This record gives sequence, C-alpha cells and structure tokens, in this order.
Amino acid sequence: QEYTLRATANSNENDEDYDGLIVFKNFVEQASNGEIAVEIFMGTQLCSNGAECLQGIADGSIDIYISTSGGAAGIFPFVQVLDLPYLMANDRIAETVLENGSPFVDTMQQMVLDTSGGAVRLMTIGNTGGWRNFANTQGRVTQPSDLEGMKIRTVVADLPQELVRAMGASPTPIPWPELFTSLQTGVVEGSKNGITDIMSMKFPDAGLQYLTLDGHAYMGALWFMNNETFMSMPEELRRVVLDGFYQLQQATFASPKRKSIDAYEAFREAGGDIYVPSPDEKEQFAEAAQPVYEWFQQNVEGGEEIFQAMNDAVSAAEEEIDAARSADMN
Amino acid sequence: MLIWFLPAFLVLLVLGLPVFFGLIAAPGILLWLNGQERDITLLYRNLYNGMDSFPLMAIPFFMLAGELMNKGGITIRLVEFSQALMGHLRGGLAHVNILSSMLFAGLSGSAVADTSALGSMLIPAMEKQGYTRRFAAAVTAASSVIGPIIPPSGIMIIYAYVMGESVAALFLAGIVPGALVGIGLMLCVRVLADRYDLPKAERIVHRGQSIAPTEGWISLVMLRLNLGGLMAAIAAIFVPLNGWALTAFFVVVAHVLLMWLRRRVDSDFRVVAKKAVVPLQTPIVILGGILLGVFTPTEAAAIAVFYALLVGFFILHSLKLSDLPEVLSRAAMTSAVVLLLVGAAMAFKTVVSLSHAPQILAEFILALSDNPLILLFLINVLLFIVGMFLDAGPAIIILGPILGPIFTDLGVDPVHFAIIMSVNLTVGLATPPMGLVLFVASSVSGEKVERIARAILPFLAVEVAVIFLITYFPAISMTIPRLTGFVN
Amino acid sequence: MGVLRGLLRPLEVWNDTVLPLGRALAILAVGLMVLAILIQVFFRYVLNNALPWPDEAARFCMLWMTGLIAPMAYRRGGFVAIDMVETLLPRRVSAVLSIVLLLISGLVLFVALRIGWSEVTGFGGQFATASLWVPWIDGWFRVPRSWMMASLVVGVALLLIVNLELIVRSLIIALGGGERLKPLAPADDELMAE
Ligand code: NA
Ligand code: NA
Repeated sequence: QEYTLRATANSNENDEDYDGLIVFKNFVEQASNGEIAVEIFMGTQLCSNGAECLQGIADGSIDIYISTSGGAAGIFPFVQVLDLPYLMANDRIAETVLENGSPFVDTMQQMVLDTSGGAVRLMTIGNTGGWRNFANTQGRVTQPSDLEGMKIRTVVADLPQELVRAMGASPTPIPWPELFTSLQTGVVEGSKNGITDIMSMKFPDAGLQYLTLDGHAYMGALWFMNNETFMSMPEELRRVVLDGFYQLQQATFASPKRKSIDAYEAFREAGGDIYVPSPDEKEQFAEAAQPVYEWFQQNVEGGEEIFQAMNDAVSAAEEEIDAARSADMN
Repeated sequence: MLIWFLPAFLVLLVLGLPVFFGLIAAPGILLWLNGQERDITLLYRNLYNGMDSFPLMAIPFFMLAGELMNKGGITIRLVEFSQALMGHLRGGLAHVNILSSMLFAGLSGSAVADTSALGSMLIPAMEKQGYTRRFAAAVTAASSVIGPIIPPSGIMIIYAYVMGESVAALFLAGIVPGALVGIGLMLCVRVLADRYDLPKAERIVHRGQSIAPTEGWISLVMLRLNLGGLMAAIAAIFVPLNGWALTAFFVVVAHVLLMWLRRRVDSDFRVVAKKAVVPLQTPIVILGGILLGVFTPTEAAAIAVFYALLVGFFILHSLKLSDLPEVLSRAAMTSAVVLLLVGAAMAFKTVVSLSHAPQILAEFILALSDNPLILLFLINVLLFIVGMFLDAGPAIIILGPILGPIFTDLGVDPVHFAIIMSVNLTVGLATPPMGLVLFVASSVSGEKVERIARAILPFLAVEVAVIFLITYFPAISMTIPRLTGFVN
Repeated sequence: MGVLRGLLRPLEVWNDTVLPLGRALAILAVGLMVLAILIQVFFRYVLNNALPWPDEAARFCMLWMTGLIAPMAYRRGGFVAIDMVETLLPRRVSAVLSIVLLLISGLVLFVALRIGWSEVTGFGGQFATASLWVPWIDGWFRVPRSWMMASLVVGVALLLIVNLELIVRSLIIALGGGERLKPLAPADDELMAE
C-alpha cells in the first residue's frame, strides 16, 4: 500500500474511541482499495498524554490521535469550550453542532490549524463517554447547594476547577489511577465523569453511590491528524479519509449511548442512586455556573471567538431541530 | 527487522554499556537502520515523559526519608532492637540481620539502600563474631531483598505507575510476602546454624543506655496507641462497635498488658525497645495515612520525609542542619539514576510496541499452554532469568504491559500478578551478573561478588520457594488488601 | 599523549566547576519538591482547600533535579552497568572496549541533544503548563512547558560533556598513561540506585 496511518488513543479496547477507530480502519482500508493501511495503537504504547501525543501528531511520528478537551487544552485552550456547562441541552443538539461544516466546527478547525502553525488538523469531533455528571459518596444532590464544601476530583485544568468552585465545592486534583482509593478513603468525596468511566473503574465499590444526571459537559472527542500526512495524499484518498472520519464520528456518537444502558443498569444494581434534576433544578445548576462563562471568555485565549461560535451554532441547531421536529410531527 | 532490538540490547548490556544508554541505543540504532528516523523522536519524547510523573515522585521521597533516618541514627536503633529480640538464638547475628532488614523495609523503599545501611554496620560485627565475610555479605544481600517487598516500595510504585494499579493495594499486598521471605531466610539460617555451628550473640550490645525523658514519654504513649489501635482494628472485624470507643478500650488493655510485661524484662531491654518505637512509627504513618485516606502514596512519602526531619531534629537531636546537603544530594543522585532508567525503559517500551512484539510474545505464551498454573510456572522461570540480566524497574516497565494482560485474562487478579512479578524481579537483584544488591554488598564488605554469589545460593533457593508459594497461594498476598477493601 | 592531556584539562575544569553547581541546584529542587507536597497536604487536609499548583510544581522540580544531578552520577560511575566482560579482558583490550561503549553513549547523547533542542523550541514546548504561573512586568503569565522540557536538554548537554571527558580519559588509559589520572569517584560509596 501507499500510505500507512498510525493511529493512537490513550484508552483501551472497551472504549468508544476503539469502536470509532475500528470503523475508520475498516472503511478507509476498503474504500481506498488497500492503498491506505491503518495501524491502531491503543493505550499508552506510543505516547501517554495529550501534550506528548499531540507533539507526535505535529511532527508526524503519529498520524491520528484522539484527545479529550482536557488533553488538548494545554496548546489549544479554546477547545475547553466543550467543557462549558449546560450550553448544549442534549445529544441531538450536540451532534448537530458538531457536524463537520457547521460554523462552529469550521471555526475550531481554523483555530487549531493557526495555533499549530499549520502542523495539526482537527478532523472531526466525536464523543467519548457520553456526558459528564456529578457523582459523589455522600448523598443525593438535587441542587448546587448540595455540593457545597464537597471535595470533588477534577483533572488539573482550569475550567473544570472553575466549575467546581462555582458550585461552591472544592476542586481536588487526583491522578486517575488513584481515584478509586481516594474515593474509598475520603481524600475526595465526588467526581465528574461519564457513567461508562464510573463503571469501568468500579467506583460504586469505592462508595460513589449518588449520581445526579445534570449533564454538565459533553465529553467531546477531538480527532487530530498530522496535516502534512493528510495533504500529501491525492485528492481521492483525502476524500476517503474524510469520509472515514465521518463514519468514525457517527460510531462514537452511537457507541456511548448503547454502552451507557448497561452501565446505568450496573450502577443501579451496585446500589447506586440516580437522580434526574427537574427542569427547574437544572436551571439552578445553570445559574450557578454563570461565572464560568465569563471566566472562559476573559481568561482563555480565543475564548470569546469560540464561545460566540458555539452559541450561534447552538441557536441554529435548536432552530433546525425544532423545525425538523414540527415538520415530522404533523 | 525491528524485532532485533532485543538481542541487540542484550549484547550491548553484557558488553558493559550502562543500562540507560543500552535501552535507548539498541532500539535507536535499529530504527535508524530501518529508515524510521522520525520514530527516534518518539524515543526521546517517551524518555522525557516517562520521568514526568506525579506517582513516581514517591521514589525520591522514600529515598530521602531512608537517607535521613540512616543519618539520624535510626538504623542502629533498629539493629539493637532486633538483637535484643533474636540475638540469643544460634546464628544470632544472622537472624538479627534478617529481622533488621524487615524492620528497615518499613522505612525504606529500596533494597540497595538497605544493603548499604545495614551491611556497613552488620557485616563487620558478624566477622568479629567469627562468621565468614562471604556468609555475612550473603545474608545481608539476601535479606535486603525484603526492602522493596514490604511497603514502601520503589518497585511497586513503578509497577503501579506503568500498569495503572493502585499503589496502596500493591503496598498492602506486599506485607505478608515480605514477612514470608524473612521467615524463610530465618529458617534457612536455623538449618545452617546447626551445620556450621554459628555462634549466639549478646542480646544487649550497650548496657546501661538511657532514653531522653521526652522520647521516653512519646514512646510510652505511642506504644499504647499502636498496640491498642492494632487490637481495635482486628476486633472491629468481629465487633460492630464505634471505632473510638473500641480504640479507647483497647488502649487501656494495651496499657495493662504492657505494665504486666514490664516486670518480666530487664531494664536494658526496655530501653532498647523504647528507642525503636519512634523510628517504627514511620511505616505506621505511611500505611495508616494511605489507609485512612489522609493522603495519596506520593504525599505519604513526603510525610515520611517530614517525619524523619521532625524525629532527627527535635526528638532524637541526631541530625544537624549541616548534614542536610549531603543527605539531599545522596537522595537526589540515586533517584536521578532511577528516574532516568524509568524514562529510558518507557522509551524502549515504545519500540517494543512498534515492533508488535507484545502480540507475538502473547501468542507464543498462550500457545504453550492455556492452563494458568503451568503458565505461571513458566513465567516465573522467565522472570527469574530476566531478573538476572535486567534491573527490576526496567524489567517491570518493559514486561509488565506484555505479561499483565495475558494473566489478567486468564483470571489471575492483577494485584496478585503484580506481587508475583515484583517479588520475582526483586529477588533478581541478588543474582549475578546484574545483581545490584550483590554489587553493593561487595563494595560494603570488600568481598568479591563471585564469592558472595556462591554463598547466597541456599538463601536464593528459599526465596525461589517463597516465590512459588506466593504464586500458587493467592491468599498470601490478597488477604490484607481484601480485608481492608482495597481489592474486591 | 600531551595533546590528550591538553584536551582533558578544560573538560576536567568544566566538570569540576559546573557539576557541583548543578548538584547545589538539584539539592534545592529536592527541598522545594518536599515543601510543595507538604503545602498541598496541609491545604487539602487541614484547610480542606486543595491548591492547583503544588503537584505540577513538584514535578517541575523533580525533572530539574534529575537533569542537574545525573551528570555527576554518571561521572562517578553511578550509572548501572554490567562490568563482567571488561574485567575478564586484558587491560588494553578492555580499554578499547570501554572507548567503543563510550562512543555509543556519546552518540545517544548527541542525537538526544539535537532532538531535545528541537522539542523544546518546537510545538511541544509551546504547550502551557496546567497550573504554573509566574509574575512578569505586566501581570501573571503562564509558564510554558518548554521550561520543564529544558531540564532534560540541559541534563543531556552536561552528560555529553562528561562523556567527552570519559572518552579522553579512556584514550589516555588505552595508551598506558592511566596512573596519573585523578580518580573521579569520591572516597565514599555515594552512588547506586533502585
Ligand atoms: Na520497603
Ligand atoms: Na539480578
């Protein structure tokens, strides 16, 4: 074959990232008639975090990499817009906003290319793990004031910490492998994760029993590619790669939904308490999160621009979906 | 083509290239020959990123804590305490050597540190009592292996870091295996004592010692709290009572018990025992802190440093400010070497992945047998051989990610496998040609490595037997982490 | 021989001067590391208010500690190696072997220096650290990752200079002038690892 694409994801083979990669590999290898081969390296075989892997993308030692917004924030701080709480109401809106070709995605793609000096290309934004929710070991949380004073584990990134602070809780950075023990022993009393991560780490066994489905952040998966590798391909192969990423995106949209059914079931079976906040309570959460929007626009480079683009895209998506819905209804 | 990096590495290693350079040169040269220049960058990057880790920071901290305690005269206290307990047995000082290693293991995370701290004190003492120098050095080396099995442990920190396991669970799982190695070695000494007519020793080295009033009071209180706490913890498994009430009750019980014991031992013994109480709070602080959720293992390590400083400056008054640069420098130097090795091994691992060696090796291993018991036997043999040539840290980093998943899939608990691998590779530290502990024992004692290596054989046989016990009786390692809820 | 000794002199002077300086900074770094984590424990456990920066600051110190003191460890023979073959060979042959091995190490360091430099100055160095800020004339600014990455480059550069000194020494030994060399390792056993 002509091209071998080296793709890596820091998660394991049970993750939706892997589902996406398998779909991508299968599609691209077939559609290119074997001209493109895709090699998948899961986990930390080649590189172990966002900074390191994106460096690999930039210099071409890695061709494709999926990063969470936290992993890429060190160089592309504006991607944290995906972590802004309660902007996108549900999957349908998120998936419309994140369609390639939407003004929001176009803006972000351009910003990535500019910031990296033309080295890194954002191919598509999928999902990795559904939505982030607040979960804790103490008791049911129905409104922001229930979180007050709680030690909540976050990654070491500004935005999630700002959010936890805005809720009146105390953000505590703990490395992921130590989180189970830390929950169990009370070093932290809560975390903000997707349900599949909660279950794959068996956190309910550590006492994480109370889950509030506030859906405060969409767990966006940013799929990056080395720009030179992409641009060096003839146009018809580039088309294949782009279509491959479309397939990948759809797969990662679908996979967490399927996986989360079992995960929620298992959470309940492990004695977990799942609370769905009422629209009114959700409003309270959104209200409490207000300072984060301002913080984001004032402190994050490119924050205003991307925040604007996101808001516009959300309004457009809401309109579009409403229109489609009412057309379907009658 | 790329798969040749492994033999290339071994050749460079045996020729005498430092492991650090070998780990980078072998894959680097092959990548270059293979026309994969861009991947050489991956080597460098993983070297850097391999070192840039928060959990690894526990290694320099425990190293520093160990150095501080050694400088602060804590080692002598532990040895004298061990001697007061076991000196009167036949082969007394050999037993003392082993027991000191077990106690010292609770303060230090490194076998090499144990060898140099205890060896420089005990090898001359043993020679004076008529032991051969090679025997004294061999006992020291063999028992130092306990250092990284009983927590804290640098090797288990590395394992947890590479494999994403909980450091706390591994620490807890190491306690019984470490004690087992110690007991095994003591039994071995018992047999040898009969054969070679090894001498007994005085139980009390320095008669008429005194203990400062402050320390005396602290020891008195701590001893009651420790003993009472331990009894309360055990009782709590059976009695559903409030923890504080239970503790208070057992502290009183402990006090009565100790007062009763007090009349049965002579005053010199009491002083020696009291002097060991403050040093031995270190493992209690470390494990207790982790168990109660006060801190993460890295923080526990920093607390151990803090405690060592506190004890050295304010309780024992055995440290001076002018000692600090020397102590910090030693800790920094030894940790820097370890960290570079960890980084280099992470870089090496990257090329292992690129060459698809993990899949090839996994398929090969699974083709041998699908019976986990047989595979565990074979893997122990493999690990033992690897341990002869490779330092434990790099061996874990390179082989852990390959072997771990195979056995986890076969139903072996990840923590159990971690202990099998760590203990086996730790024992490798005492086997030639790449036995770091042997080198240190040799430099401390002035005995040739080959002669120590021969004298150590009976002890190694015991350690191998313990490895198989640990392998085939998971309960040995898994009971404590299960009871404390760190493994379900 | 005279040429070699002339070459050795400046290398010795450099390493005798700069490496102790590196060690002093490394000692400082270790101290700061401990301090940072203790501050974190205090804030989190006593004040119930975890700080964002101590973890990263401690890692920063750890990396610099490694880069600054590893060269001294290398110079004193503290890098772990098997010396079995070297002791078995006749003296001259073993001297040649050690030169070959030093050349391989030198090659590794040379390539590492080149890559390291481009890493620090390149894309990877532009990443911002997650939580480290320093004051500057116009307010606080975020420490770039390159400041951390520079630790390894500095370490590699210093190691390379030590390696050069070791090569010249081995050449002198191979030519039979080893007796007049001053020993590099200190009297005590201030090395070793694990
Ligand atoms: Na230990
Ligand atoms: Na060995």
